[in-house]
Amino acid sequence: MMNTNLFIMCVEDEGEVLETVLRDLQMYEDHFRIEAAQSVDEARQVIEVLLKDGLRPALFICDHKMPGTSGVDYLVELSTSPQMSKAKRMLLTGQAGHQDTIKAVNQAGLDYYLAKPWKPGDLQDVVNNLLTEFVIHNEENLLAYMAILDGEKISDAMRNRSLSDT
Amino acid sequence: MNTTKTAGLILGLVGFILPFFLSLPGLSYAGHIALSIFLLAAFFWMLEPIPIHGTSVLVIFLGVLLLSGQGPLYKNAQAPLTQLTSQSDGFEVPSTAVTATNQVWIRDNGSWRAADVDIQPSGNSNVIIRSTELSEGMQIASETTHRSVNYTPRRYQDYVGTLANPIIILFLGGFMLAQGAVKYSFDKNLTRYLLKPFGSRPGAILIGLMLVTAALSAFMSNTATTAMMMTVIIPIVAQMGPGDRFKTALALSIPIAANIGGIATPIGTPPNAIVIAALQKEGIMVSFTEWMALTLPLVLIILAVAWFMLIKLFPAQISAFKTGSDVTFDRSSKAVVFYAIFMTTVLLWVTESLHGISSNIVALLPVAGLALTEVLEVKDIRKLPWEVLWLVAGGLALGLYMDHTGLATYLVSTIDWASLGGFAVIAMFAAVAVLMSNFLSNTVTATLLMPLAITIGIMQGSGSMNIVELALVVGVGTSMAMALPISTPPNAIAMSTGMVKTPDMAKTGVIIGVVGITLMLAYAILYWPLLLN
Repeated sequence: MMNTNLFIMCVEDEGEVLETVLRDLQMYEDHFRIEAAQSVDEARQVIEVLLKDGLRPALFICDHKMPGTSGVDYLVELSTSPQMSKAKRMLLTGQAGHQDTIKAVNQAGLDYYLAKPWKPGDLQDVVNNLLTEFVIHNEENLLAYMAILDGEKISDAMRNRSLSDT
Repeated sequence: MNTTKTAGLILGLVGFILPFFLSLPGLSYAGHIALSIFLLAAFFWMLEPIPIHGTSVLVIFLGVLLLSGQGPLYKNAQAPLTQLTSQSDGFEVPSTAVTATNQVWIRDNGSWRAADVDIQPSGNSNVIIRSTELSEGMQIASETTHRSVNYTPRRYQDYVGTLANPIIILFLGGFMLAQGAVKYSFDKNLTRYLLKPFGSRPGAILIGLMLVTAALSAFMSNTATTAMMMTVIIPIVAQMGPGDRFKTALALSIPIAANIGGIATPIGTPPNAIVIAALQKEGIMVSFTEWMALTLPLVLIILAVAWFMLIKLFPAQISAFKTGSDVTFDRSSKAVVFYAIFMTTVLLWVTESLHGISSNIVALLPVAGLALTEVLEVKDIRKLPWEVLWLVAGGLALGLYMDHTGLATYLVSTIDWASLGGFAVIAMFAAVAVLMSNFLSNTVTATLLMPLAITIGIMQGSGSMNIVELALVVGVGTSMAMALPISTPPNAIAMSTGMVKTPDMAKTGVIIGVVGITLMLAYAILYWPLLLN
């Protein structure tokens, strides 16, 4: 278990779906803290604690139709928060209407829309891509992610960083 | 801050302070200061409480402050002198003018010279000294412990000048070329192009990858080459079954070839700069061509050995790989200008012996050429690994302090090297260099060992050959250390792919280290003398 300071937050009100998502994310738990919440309010509370512990968000996976604040509204909120805006944002839903989807793309800077139900492996591929993008643009030490994320892209990012011998 | 760093910080500071409270007989006051800086740098470089390039600039700063003629310590320092006037049976001088080992320091034409004397107590605090080396009117230091005795401070420009040492300019040229290669994807495309003739069989692909990696890392940094080559091998590895051990062979071949390839040219890796600059200081010029003639055959043999080792240790199950993505070189006008400057520079470098124009001067061609054509823009130039130049410059400055203050001579004179014989000394330095740099940065290892190696080479006095051989085994030896993930950045990259286990890296690293040293020593007695004479 490495000393990680990045977290992934999954917000999904249906327990069954949430479990599937968490199972797909298991492979990342050595490198990212995986957190789950069943509503936006719960997510906010969990995140408050995480931030206090010095953790930073890497990825949000959000359902749309939930009691209380909707997923899209939450993603818009995240995109304007200086602490959260760097994290990748993914909408995982089958119920977002046309207007909501447009809002998510235009106002929440959505990084990916994955429609329910998804094929096995799809979620992992998307998450792998998003996390790779995130670490390349936000992390100093890329070596730690080479084996778990897209090694080819990460190698190429390192190639562009004028690496030197010591 | 972890325990190692804290220990490094404390040891470094204690090491720095300690010499100020010591009085080592035979070492000047300035030598004590140089020892302070040496100990601080050694602990900081080894345990890294601060980044290694930070230590390097600290070394330059401390030298300017404490050793240069313009720093506060030596700005107005004048050694107290006394003029010898004949008495009946010798010269009467204050007793403080004679050291504990019965020597006096003669000031002669701006330089210092020691003389052994016989002493006889005289009245008060004076003594009568006698020696055939003394004569009427001579000036000697009246206080041998004064900081200016046996030391003539250099200008601070000599120390900050290490930042623009010709070898630094050579590396700057190399960095500009490497930056351009990445920007215009020349490194990737060239690799794909060069790999084509090696076909699809595992053994052939492996030797192809190793040769291309070595060739690129001879001109780019070993680390950047490794990162780039990982993008090449990851798709190849993906074609193999889960149990195929050949993955490990592929993943290990890259750092091995990159580390070894760095030996092949002066700009291949920073320890080479330490070797060349140290020799330059002794008036021994090694041209780009000569360096390659000295090292390239060794590099090729080690690569062949490594290839054989890898296919034996990690045999392939897969019989052929799918290869051959299309190579499309960037044809924009800036890219074409880059290719032209790159080829011209490399051509002029490797043919230095033919035209006689120093490779350091040729290095200004890519620096000026790529900047003025804006093939590299300001944002690209900012991305150059400037800290490596600081690292090398700090190392060169430390070498100067140790030389100027007599510290290097003092340290090596504690052992009777002559009785050990030339070969034993060379073998010992090779072994120490490989061992140390398995744990430390290669440049730091070369920096710490080089002043000692050079001084011993001079003391052994068997002409310049010995000095060159000693300097080379230290410099080249550091590049042969690759047994651990922390040994070199290329090893760390290979390790992080998850395709290599530490025991595999240790096994191959130890084999390369042992075979490498043995071959290098065989070279040092059989091949290098042929070229150097």
